[in-house]
Amino acid sequence: MSQEYDLTLKISRYDPDTQLSWVQVYRLKAGRILRFVDLFRKINDEQDPTLAWSSSCEHGQCGTCGMKINGKPLLTCELLVENAVKFFKTQTFTVEPLTVAPVIRDLVIDMEKAYERVHFVKPHIIQPAPQHPDGDEYRISPRVLETYVEATRCINCFCCATACVTQKNYLGPNALLANIVRLMDPREMAKQERMDILYSDQGTPRCRTAQACSFVCPKEIDIAHFIALAKEGNFK
Amino acid sequence: MGKKLQIDSILRPEVLVIGAGGAGLRCAVEICERRPGTSIIAVTKVYSPQKSHTAAAQGGMAAVDPKDPVDKIIYHMFDTWKGSDCSSDQNIIKKVCESAWEQILWLERHGMHFSRTEEGRIAKRPFGGHMLNFGKVKAFRACYEADRTGKGIMDTVWAESLKHGVIFLNQSVACELLFRNGRCIGAIVFMEQNGKFLAVLAKATIMATGGKTRMYQVSTNCRQNTGDGLALILQAGLPVMDLEAVQFHPTGIVGPGILASEALRGEGGILRNKDGEPFMERYAPTAKDLAPRDLVSRCIMNEIREGRGCVHPDHKLPHVWLDLRHIPEHVHRTRIQEVCGFFCKFVGVQPQHELCPVTPTAHYQMGGSPTNEFGEVQKDAQEVVPGLYACGEFAAASLHGHNRLGTNSLLELITMGQVVGERVAAYLHDAEAPGDLPQDAGSHVFSQFSRYLASRGKTHYAEIRDALRVLMMEKVGVFRNEKGLAEAIEKLKELKQMARHMKLSSRSLIMNQDLLQFWELDHLLDVSMVIAHCALARKESRGGHYREDYPERSPEFQYHTLAYMTEYGKVTLGRRPIDMSIFEARGEHYEKFGIIERKY
Repeated sequence: MSQEYDLTLKISRYDPDTQLSWVQVYRLKAGRILRFVDLFRKINDEQDPTLAWSSSCEHGQCGTCGMKINGKPLLTCELLVENAVKFFKTQTFTVEPLTVAPVIRDLVIDMEKAYERVHFVKPHIIQPAPQHPDGDEYRISPRVLETYVEATRCINCFCCATACVTQKNYLGPNALLANIVRLMDPREMAKQERMDILYSDQGTPRCRTAQACSFVCPKEIDIAHFIALAKEGNFK
Repeated sequence: MGKKLQIDSILRPEVLVIGAGGAGLRCAVEICERRPGTSIIAVTKVYSPQKSHTAAAQGGMAAVDPKDPVDKIIYHMFDTWKGSDCSSDQNIIKKVCESAWEQILWLERHGMHFSRTEEGRIAKRPFGGHMLNFGKVKAFRACYEADRTGKGIMDTVWAESLKHGVIFLNQSVACELLFRNGRCIGAIVFMEQNGKFLAVLAKATIMATGGKTRMYQVSTNCRQNTGDGLALILQAGLPVMDLEAVQFHPTGIVGPGILASEALRGEGGILRNKDGEPFMERYAPTAKDLAPRDLVSRCIMNEIREGRGCVHPDHKLPHVWLDLRHIPEHVHRTRIQEVCGFFCKFVGVQPQHELCPVTPTAHYQMGGSPTNEFGEVQKDAQEVVPGLYACGEFAAASLHGHNRLGTNSLLELITMGQVVGERVAAYLHDAEAPGDLPQDAGSHVFSQFSRYLASRGKTHYAEIRDALRVLMMEKVGVFRNEKGLAEAIEKLKELKQMARHMKLSSRSLIMNQDLLQFWELDHLLDVSMVIAHCALARKESRGGHYREDYPERSPEFQYHTLAYMTEYGKVTLGRRPIDMSIFEARGEHYEKFGIIERKY
């Protein structure tokens, strides 16, 4: 038989109609491999349909369900009850929205506001390199791709930006990473424009090397490594 | 209530895109490249277009380089035709397969991070149903970005859309299509984050809302895939096509139903029953584990039915095993890292050392809104609706017929997105302005939402949702029969009645997820009803549609099903002929494109 846990969730609530905020306590029983998104659904189904929370793919590919659980930013679709109990050594959890954008209702934030920083760094190729003479694809050696492929795995869940010790006037780890991907991408010619973004007063100078980004990244991308490359002046 | 619902403002872009996933945005970018400065509004139900479900696609995108010394475009065309169980349209097959490589190059030039060969070229892997020499040996045809190909596509078209200044309405849903004299002139959009209704009037409207399989108990689709787009089409009195053709992916991770890509079998993964037997050898001696999805799903269900499956101790769901233990460590690390991580994260299994529990999961709709080869939405087998276009999983042109091959969906959304973009750009040249807001605009959606806001019943939403999901899985799932389908139709009527007596928890319009679920449930029930009717009418087995009482394919049903439903439960059926232009052209190898046997 599978084990059941008695859980207490202290969830941050916000009602945009009355502009009131409060913390609501929910108690529920759950099996060991239920995920936190399943718990929210269970609360909706059994206790309180008004609790609003965000998710989409629910398997760690889209980065919609990021929240702070006992202070740690993570994807709630990936957090199994069993692992949460083991990791946090408790069966009581505080659940808060990420801090990168204003809250719309309860655990739902205005993601578009958070995305403004990513839009700012222009995730597309600004100026493409000339085509291969054969007219087919640009050649990229697997060795070159390997140096930055980890950074392309970012899903903009904003867990790193929430954990970062610099919260003001900073593009944040994930937006910088999007810029660094194109700096390392041999198909991008507009290196100077990208360097200007990287070393601007909202760029790497604001990073204090706490490495919280790498620590919390749900994709286990070593974001701090890429920012360190930038600080060491590896991009020319 | 006393809350009067009204249209808050009117927006007038040239183009409205409903659904900002891979297909919708590929289309938007094509329009911008051909007609720089075109004003485009793209509506998405998710929190940012980058979160679209396209990004969850894993395996790859089939494409034959015309310069390839071994593989040929005609083999790809043949595989698609054979895979569809002779029910895809050959004009579409030709168009898509011939432009495939060009579209791969487009993505590569726009910054997609394809995996590479030692020579620095785009790497390719084998995939189910894709073979050389007309079904002889497996082909290396799927271009991929590790096991996150969909994300690569999504990131690319999203970034390009930003570059071109496409305006996004996030967390918003289109809830009524607008027409004037039969021409589509836009839609009413409900913005969840502020509770406002907008009218978007546009010269051209493109629907690309993706899939819809959330009515099944085990499904790979995201929370938002509730059939809203199809319901909108049905409400407008337009037909949907081949809805009986639902693809069950053989390897869903037991529990949440998360997709474990076919790439795992492409890289050598083997399905085993509880005795450890690699059972696919028995069913498909040539293609084995890489036989098409419908076939593998039925084989798994058959193993389970005959007592050779296992039962998961936590999820209490029957399953078989996927064995990845013999796959080299470097392949685990570089090519299937993401997917193997799912087994670790969601069922606590280490795929390098342990067997992985998998079960068939509702994955894809082969059918959808019928279009011609330019993506123009059809009102019947002959006529199109001016101003209305469709592409991607939402549309059925149809490339897939009754079964889709792996990697052909990403290919379709990119190629058909481009085709529709090209068509729309031409249409915009001399298309008239949509004019004023029609008098009755919003009447449908306001009566719908007023009804939800007035709900004071006792029934819980979850009760109906769960009953629907079990019903669809059991009676309209991998195996179907007349009795079960007839029962399903009766039960769906009951559920629709129950849905009229639900209890709404809050009457706010702002980010009220309970309210939105009412709206979604109506759509799930509408679309489920049409699926069941289409499945009942097709008294044969073809591709993903399998009737236990009619296990063979029948020449009598050599057509596409069209279905209309203006009143719940009253489904009118029609037909659209299957295009056989390759066969009829009598060119080289034409005989391969006749009504052929489907054996792997």
